[in-house]
Amino acid sequence: MRKWCAVVAVLALLVPVTALGAGAQGATIKIGVPVPLSGGNAKMGDDISKAATLAVEEWNAKGGVLGRKLEIMSFDDACDAQQSVTAAHKLVDAGVVAVAGGYCSSAAIPASAVYHDSGVAFVADASSNPKLTDQGFENVFRVIGRDDQQGPYAAGFMMKTLKAHRIAIIHDNTVYAKGLADATKAALDGKPGVQVVFFDAITPGEKDFSAVLTKVKSLKPDVTYFTGYYPEGGLLAKQFKDLGVSGKFMAGDANNDPTFVTEAGAAAEGVFVTSTPLPQDLGTARAFVERYKKRFNQDPGPYSALEYDAVNVVINAIQRAHSTDRAAIIKAIAATKDYKGATGTIGFDKKGDRTTILYIPYIIKGGKFTPYNVSS
Amino acid sequence: MTVALQQLVNGLTVGAFYALIALGYTMVYGIIRLINFAHGDIYAVGAFLGLSTYGLLRLLHVDNPILTTLLGLVVSMGCTGLLGMLVYRVAYRPLLHARLSILISAIGASLTLEYGLFLIYSPSFLVYPHLFDSPGMALGDISVSGLQIIIFVSGLVLMTALYVVVHRTKIGMAMRALAINQDAARLMGIDVNRVIAVTFFLGSTLAAFAGVLTGLYYSQISFLMGFLIGLKAFTAAVLGGIGNIPGAVVGGFLLGVLEGLAAGYFSSRWKDVVAFGILIVILVVRPRGLLGERVVERM
Repeated sequence: MRKWCAVVAVLALLVPVTALGAGAQGATIKIGVPVPLSGGNAKMGDDISKAATLAVEEWNAKGGVLGRKLEIMSFDDACDAQQSVTAAHKLVDAGVVAVAGGYCSSAAIPASAVYHDSGVAFVADASSNPKLTDQGFENVFRVIGRDDQQGPYAAGFMMKTLKAHRIAIIHDNTVYAKGLADATKAALDGKPGVQVVFFDAITPGEKDFSAVLTKVKSLKPDVTYFTGYYPEGGLLAKQFKDLGVSGKFMAGDANNDPTFVTEAGAAAEGVFVTSTPLPQDLGTARAFVERYKKRFNQDPGPYSALEYDAVNVVINAIQRAHSTDRAAIIKAIAATKDYKGATGTIGFDKKGDRTTILYIPYIIKGGKFTPYNVSS
Repeated sequence: MTVALQQLVNGLTVGAFYALIALGYTMVYGIIRLINFAHGDIYAVGAFLGLSTYGLLRLLHVDNPILTTLLGLVVSMGCTGLLGMLVYRVAYRPLLHARLSILISAIGASLTLEYGLFLIYSPSFLVYPHLFDSPGMALGDISVSGLQIIIFVSGLVLMTALYVVVHRTKIGMAMRALAINQDAARLMGIDVNRVIAVTFFLGSTLAAFAGVLTGLYYSQISFLMGFLIGLKAFTAAVLGGIGNIPGAVVGGFLLGVLEGLAAGYFSSRWKDVVAFGILIVILVVRPRGLLGERVVERM
């Protein structure tokens, strides 16, 4: 209770400051990018904020927007509910006109309430939990798919392509992982010949999952689907092999990272990952990948192209709105239609979810994530 | 039955880690009655120093996995042992007679080590090389990996060695004397500070050993890795009877096995609840721990 009083008090203090911050003319237009820059997901955060930097640099090279330069403000949300709320307040306080970023749903959802209260547009690049847009906030959008879209996709892939009958699902009790696991289970339940034999969580941050996997092993699954994040995913894949659990190991889109392979070593071979396509595997993203590599001397991460699009959607909206007024930007983003982004065409439905979204299966071959040809 | 046996194997591996770290807690507590909160982080430092040694050896093109592992262990254990002595000298020795301040100092040392690793190495986790990448051998339906056997056996060897040092050598005798009565020991001409420093050294080397093996076994290390396991190892030490060396070993293995069985028969989410629930019951029945704190002759 006392904590909430403190939050309210801080909010009250912020109001006059933000009112002052937004008014300045001629100064740079600030776009907020909250990402995890510390903790287990710091690498994802780094990939995301680099993509945002690239987008803004390209606009600035062309003279910015509305005759003003753009600027990225990046704060660490550590994938943590409390820290993300602090970061959100800092961004609002710094006078950002809109926010594009975020990685973990458990951080993005609490932060979205702060943005909603301050009337700032929030375009999420990687948060896929249905709750984010189900809150009914008119200022929240996302360029990634929803877990209740990935869940049925993963379920269909396991049933039709992998011909699985006994399926084990492991999540980690975080908002994202539990959401994806629930959506997958819902899509599998009641299907003839298919049985979810195991549905339980591991604890993120732990290293020994042999106890859980031993239980899974005794149930003899055809496929084990892990819906959490890659720090645990790589370890699970390794211990899955070490323990000799039957069937295939498959993981959700938060495992689409090379670190998964370095962690799991040889055990990563043949692991399936459901994911939105990596920028490298998307025809529309080829130019973006080239520019990203040239600028940062490394491959873009799995969410880089999405973040690049999220930032561009915001800037595009500022241009169409002819204003940096926060409310006008929200309206302009909602009106986005057929925007040609690096990840394909972007438009939003009433909730703020993207209308067109694509998932593909990957298989790890020779230590590389390779698109898996479903028909073969 | 198979599940129970497999969980037993898993539990003994985890338990070996707990036991190795618990020994450090129990020895320090036995001698100076201090709960060394920094001990879990000493274990983390050991893991990182091992990784650094591996990196260095790779630069020097030393590729033999057994040789690199032995060198990694020796370097990490040596350096971490010295670090343990340094922590004692800087953070604890000046406060030996200030009961509360020394506890705060221990928490400070713990945070310093954690965020030192954060700054020097990485805010994210690091990945150990896969030197012994062999899937588990199948014994019937149970799978046991070579590393699990190495961890279990070498852990037992080190624990026995420690027992021999404490009970059969002169410095061990001095440690036991200190545990009984520090003032009397000083009057008998024992160099108290030196003996305490050696205790820190021994405890830290065992933790470093566990740290390097953790890296090899799980292949993932991070600056906060010592926190949770430190807490559990401390619990194991209390469970066995803090200040009691065989007690720490028994407590470590028992906690590991309890966790494994709890995860196997309930749910992994309830693992800690079940395991720690049983611990509370044991401690209520036997407040001094399973083997008891030997009041007259601790350790």
